[in-house]
Amino acid sequence: MLGKLNWSAIPIDQPIPLFAAGLVLVIILAVLAWAGIKGYYPYIWREWITSVDHKRIGVMYVLLAMVMLLRGGTDAIMMRAQQAIAYHSGGYLPPQHYDQIFSAHGTIMIFFMGMPFVIGLMNLIVPLQLGVRDVAFPTLNSVGFWLTATGALLINISLVVGEFARTGWLPYPPLSELRYSPGVGVDYYLWSLEISGIGTLVAGINLVTTVLKLRTRGMTYLRMPMFCWTTLASNLLIIAAFPILTATLTMLVLDRYAGFHFFTNEAGGNLMMFVNLIWAWGHPEVYILVLPAFGIFSEVVATFSSKPLFGYRSMVMATMAICIISFCVWLHHFFTMGAGPDVNAVFGIASMIIAVPTGVKIYNWLFTMYGGRLRFETPMLWSVGFMVTFTIGGLTGVLLAVPPADFVLHNSLFLVAHFHNVIIGGVLFGAFAGYTYWFPKAFGFRLHEGLGKTAFWFTFTGFWVTFVPLYAAGLLGMTRRLQHYDVAEWRPWMIAAGIGTILLTIGIVFQILQLAVSIRHREELRDATGDPWDGRSLEWATSSPPPVFNFAITPDVHGEDAYWLIKSHAKQQQITDHEEREYKDIEMPRNSPTGFVCAFFATVMGFALIWHIWWMVVLGGIGAFATFIAFAWRDHDEYLIPAAEVARVDRANLAERRAAMSLVGSAP
Amino acid sequence: MTDATLPYVAHGDPHHVRGMQESVIAHEGPAPKRIVTGFGFWIFLLSDIVMFSCFFASYSVLLGQTAGGPSGAQLFDLRSVAAETAFLLLSSFACGMASIAADVRSVRWYQIAMAVTGLLGLGFLLLEVREFTDLVSRGAGPTRSAFLSAFFTLVGCHGVHVTAGLLWLLTMMAQVYTKGFRADIMRRMLCFALFWHALDIIWVAIFSIVYLIGSAT
Amino acid sequence: MSDQAHPVYEHRDVAPGDEEEVRVGPRVIGYVIGLGLAILLTATSFFVAATNLVWQPSIPVALLVLAIAQMGVHLVFFLHITTGPDNTNNVMALAFGLLIVFLVVGGSVWIMSHLDQNMMPMEQIMHELRQH
Repeated sequence: MLGKLNWSAIPIDQPIPLFAAGLVLVIILAVLAWAGIKGYYPYIWREWITSVDHKRIGVMYVLLAMVMLLRGGTDAIMMRAQQAIAYHSGGYLPPQHYDQIFSAHGTIMIFFMGMPFVIGLMNLIVPLQLGVRDVAFPTLNSVGFWLTATGALLINISLVVGEFARTGWLPYPPLSELRYSPGVGVDYYLWSLEISGIGTLVAGINLVTTVLKLRTRGMTYLRMPMFCWTTLASNLLIIAAFPILTATLTMLVLDRYAGFHFFTNEAGGNLMMFVNLIWAWGHPEVYILVLPAFGIFSEVVATFSSKPLFGYRSMVMATMAICIISFCVWLHHFFTMGAGPDVNAVFGIASMIIAVPTGVKIYNWLFTMYGGRLRFETPMLWSVGFMVTFTIGGLTGVLLAVPPADFVLHNSLFLVAHFHNVIIGGVLFGAFAGYTYWFPKAFGFRLHEGLGKTAFWFTFTGFWVTFVPLYAAGLLGMTRRLQHYDVAEWRPWMIAAGIGTILLTIGIVFQILQLAVSIRHREELRDATGDPWDGRSLEWATSSPPPVFNFAITPDVHGEDAYWLIKSHAKQQQITDHEEREYKDIEMPRNSPTGFVCAFFATVMGFALIWHIWWMVVLGGIGAFATFIAFAWRDHDEYLIPAAEVARVDRANLAERRAAMSLVGSAP
Repeated sequence: MTDATLPYVAHGDPHHVRGMQESVIAHEGPAPKRIVTGFGFWIFLLSDIVMFSCFFASYSVLLGQTAGGPSGAQLFDLRSVAAETAFLLLSSFACGMASIAADVRSVRWYQIAMAVTGLLGLGFLLLEVREFTDLVSRGAGPTRSAFLSAFFTLVGCHGVHVTAGLLWLLTMMAQVYTKGFRADIMRRMLCFALFWHALDIIWVAIFSIVYLIGSAT
Repeated sequence: MSDQAHPVYEHRDVAPGDEEEVRVGPRVIGYVIGLGLAILLTATSFFVAATNLVWQPSIPVALLVLAIAQMGVHLVFFLHITTGPDNTNNVMALAFGLLIVFLVVGGSVWIMSHLDQNMMPMEQIMHELRQH
C-alpha cells in the first residue's frame, strides 16, 4: 500500500540524524507557529507564495540558498570535525553516515545553494538593469522557483525519512546501481535533481529570452550592463547543459527502476559512459555558477572605483569565449579513466586555454580599479578577496589540467582544495558581494557595514586556514572522502583545517548577525534615494524597493552605464525640477498559485517515486496535469494599474529621493 | 540642442536626456509578446534536442553491446518504420494546414486539420506500441541488453514526446472550441506547431540512424 | 509626432515558426512543396538502405546526408527558419544548439571509443574476476 515505506525509515536508532531531524522540525514548526500567530499567512500567500514578480521570486531564491548554506555548512563542519579526530580512530561518524554527509554536502551546496543564489540575483536585478517591467515569462518563473524548492525539500526529507545517497555528489555506477545501493538514498538524489532540473531549465529559458528580447528603448547589446551579458552566457549554458543532466540521470533511473542496462556491469552496460556524460554537464555547470559572479564583480568594481568598466568589449568577448570553451574541456575530470594520451592532451590544452579569457577579465577589473576613486565598502572587499582567492584557485586548476600531474593528484585533497578555492572564492564571494550590494535595492535599507566587514574578514581568513592545509595533505597523498586515516603526516593539516572551519563558521555567524541587526535598525539604515552606492546602471534609477512595475516610464538608453549618463546629464543641465511626466496605465501579470501547486504535486510524485508508492505517483501526475489545464483556462492573466496610481507612486518616490538628495546637497 | 538634431523623437524621456549625442541606429524596445513566446519555446526545443542527442550518444556507444542477444538488423521491421514515417510526415503537413487555418481564423478548418494531425499521430503511436510489445514478447525487451536499453529509451523518449504532443493537441482543440482564437491561444498554437514539426525532425534522425543504418549493417 | 526625424531601427524580428507571407494560397503551396520534397528524400533513404545498387560502404554516409537534407526541408518549409535579418536570433539559437549537439555527441563517441580501445577484453576481465 505504501510501497517500500514503513516505520523503520525513521532513524530512531541513530542519534545524530535523529537529533538533527528533530531540531529542524522544531525550528520549522516554531517559524510556522510564529507566522500563524502574527497573522502573516494571508500576506505571505498573497505577496510571496503566489507572486510572479521577479523581485519577489529573486528574493525567495536567495533565501532558499542561504538556508541551504546553513545545512551544507553544517555537513562541512561535521566532516572537518570527523577528519580532525579520526586518526587511528573511527571518529564519531560511522562510515555509512559519513558517506551520506559528504554526498549531501556537495549536492546541497551546488544545486540548492550555488544555483539558487546566482539565479535569484539574476532574477532580481536583470529586468531592472534592462529597464523593463519583468522577465519574459513571469508565471513560469514562479514555477521554476517552486520546483527548485521541491528538490531542496525532498533532499531534506531524506534526513528524517529514509537515508541519502552514499555515492558522493555525482552517483557513479556501479555503486549507484540497484545491486550496490539497494536503499532509497540514490533515489532521493535522483528525483530531487530531476525535478529541480526542470526548474533550472525554466529559469534558463526565461532569462535568455529576457536578455535577448526584452530590453528598453535604445539598449543595444553593447549597451547592456556586464551583469546582463554574463547572465546571457550563464543561462545559455543552462539550456545547453541541463538536458544532459536530465538524460543521464534518467538513464540511471531506468537502470534502477526498470532493469535497464545502461551502466550495469552485466549485459553490456558501460559505466564509463555515465562518467563521461555527467561531466559533459558537470563542467558547464561550474561556469553556470561562476559567470554570474564575474558579472557581479564587474558591476561592483566599476561602481566602487567610480569609473566605467575597463575594456567592456573585451569583457563581452571573454564571457562568450568562456561560454563556448566550457563545452570543450569536460574530460579533465576523468583524465585517469584511460582515454589515452591523445584525448587527454586535447582536453588538457583546452582546459589551459579557458584560463586565458578569465585572465583577461581579471586584468580588466584591475585596470578598472587603477586610477579610480576607490571605496572599500563590503561589496568591494568581497570583490578584492575574490580576485586574490580565485586567481590562486584558477592557477591550481591549470596545474591539474596537465594530465601527468593530474594522475598524481586526481581525487586527492589537492583537488578538493582546488575546487573549493574557485567555488568559494568565485561563486560564494560573488554571491555575498551581490547580496550586500543589492540588498538595499531589494528591501529599502542597507546592511550594517561594520558587521559585514567582520563577516568578510572571518570568511576570507577562515577559507585560507581551512584549505591551504588541504592542498598540503593532498600533495602528501591524502585521498578525498576518507572516514578515517592512519598516516601521521596528515594529522596536523586536518587539525589546522578544523580550526579554519571554526573561523569560517564565525564568518557565517556574523552574516546572520548582520542581517538581524540591520533589520532591527532598518530605520537608521534606510535608503531613501534608491542609489546608496552612486551606481552606474538602471536598477539604481528606481526607488528602493522599486514599485511593482519597476519603472513608471521605461527609460530611453543612450550609452553604456545608462544611469550614469542620466545622472551626469542631470548635473550638467542643473535639472532640479522634473517637468510633468506623461503617465500611462500599466498592465502587470496577475499573481498565480500555479507554481506552488505544481510544486506540491511534484513533491508528492517525487516522494512516491522514491518509495515505490505507485498509486500516489499516478495521483500526483494527474494533479500536476490538472494544474496545467487550470492555468491554461485562465481568462485574465493581467491586471491594470491606472495611470493615476502610477503617478501617485512615482511622485511619492521622486519626492523622497529629492528630499534625501537635498540633505546630501547634490543634484538628482 | 533642439529636438531636430535627434534621430528619433522619444515619447517619454523621463530623464531628459534628449539633446545628447545619439547614434543613428537604436534599439526599438521590448519585442511583442508573440515573438517573445515563440523564441522562448524555440530555445526550449533546442534544449530538448540536446537531451535527445545524449540518448543518441548512448545509443551509438552501446550499439554493439547486444550481450549475446539480437541486434538491430535482426529485429527491425522496416515496413512498419516506413508506415510510421509516412504517418508522422503527413501529420506535420496537416499541422501546417492547421496553423494557416488559425491565422485566417477559420474554426472549422482548424479543427479538421488538428483532428487529422491527431489521428495520424495516434496511428504512429499505435504502430510503435505494437513494435515494442512485439519485441518484448520475443525476449528482446529493454532489459535484455545494453543495446536494447538504449534503443527502447531513445525511440521510447520520442514516443513519450508524441504522446505529450497529442494531449496538448486535444487541449488546443478544446481551447479553440471554448474560447476561439484569442491572442494567447494563438501563441500557444505557434508553440504547438514548433513542437510538432520538431518531433518530425527528430524522427528523421531516428529512422535514418537507428533503423536504416542499423538494418544496413 | 514629427515625421522628418525618421528613426532607423534594427529590423523587427520574426517569431520562429511565423512566416512573412500572409496569403493562404502561397502558404499552402509552400507546405505542399515541403511535403513533396520530404517524401522524395524519405523514399530515397529507404531505397538506399534496401538496395544492392549502391556501393555498400557509402550507405551510412548517404543516409546521413539524406537525413540532413530532410531536416533542412522541415526547417525551411515547415518551420520557416530562413537566413533573413529578421530571423537572425532564431538561426543563432539553432546554430548554438547544433554546436552543443556536435560537441557532446562527437566528443562522447570519440572519448568512449578511445576508452574502449584501452580496456581489457571482457573475457580477460571475467577471467581476472574468477581468479579472486
